[in-house]
Amino acid sequence: MEAVLWYVLTGTRGGANRARILRTLDERPRNANQLAEELDLDYKTVRHHLDVLMDNDVVQRSGDDYGAVYLPSPRAQSNWETIEEILEGME
Amino acid sequence: MSIWVDVARAASAVNILLLLALAYVWGRNYLQFRSKHPLGLLIFASFLIAQNALALYMYLVDPTLSGWFSTAVPVIVWRLMMLLHVFETAGLVFLAWITFD
Repeated sequence: MEAVLWYVLTGTRGGANRARILRTLDERPRNANQLAEELDLDYKTVRHHLDVLMDNDVVQRSGDDYGAVYLPSPRAQSNWETIEEILEGME
Repeated sequence: MSIWVDVARAASAVNILLLLALAYVWGRNYLQFRSKHPLGLLIFASFLIAQNALALYMYLVDPTLSGWFSTAVPVIVWRLMMLLHVFETAGLVFLAWITFD
C-alpha cells in the first residue's frame, strides 16, 4: 500500500491534486461536487481523480450513485503516517 | 542494412521522448513534494535518457562507431539490440499510461 500511495500521489501528473483531495476528504467526507467547489477544480477532473483513487483503494464511496460521498478507505487510514509524510512535504 | 537497424534507432528515439515527458512530470512533482520518491523516479529517467542518447550517438553520430554499426554488425546482433530497445519502449509506454492517467 505504501508504494501505491507514493506512486499515485507523487509519481503521476495528477498526484498533487489527488493529495489535496485526500486531505480534504480526511477533514470530512464530501461528494464530488463539494470537492470541486472546495478545491476550485473542474467537476470532471475531480471525478477522474476519485476514480483513480478508488481503483487503487485509497478512497471509498458511501451512499448511492448520485451525490455519494467519498472518504479515505480503511487501507488508507491504516497507512495514514505515509499519507501524512507525503502531505507534509507538499508546499 | 536490415529493417532491424531502423527499428532499433526509432525505438531509442521514442524512448528518449517518452522519458523526457516522464522526467518532466516527476521533476515537477519533486519540486512540489520535495520527497525522495519523485526524486528517485527522476534519477531513473535521467539515466535511461543517457543510455538511449548514447545508443543513438553510437548508431548515428560517432564517425567511427556509426560506420561500424551500419556495416560490420551482423543481423543477429541487430535483432537482439532491437528487442532490447523495443522492450524498453513497451515498458515506458505502460509507465507513461499510468503516469499521465
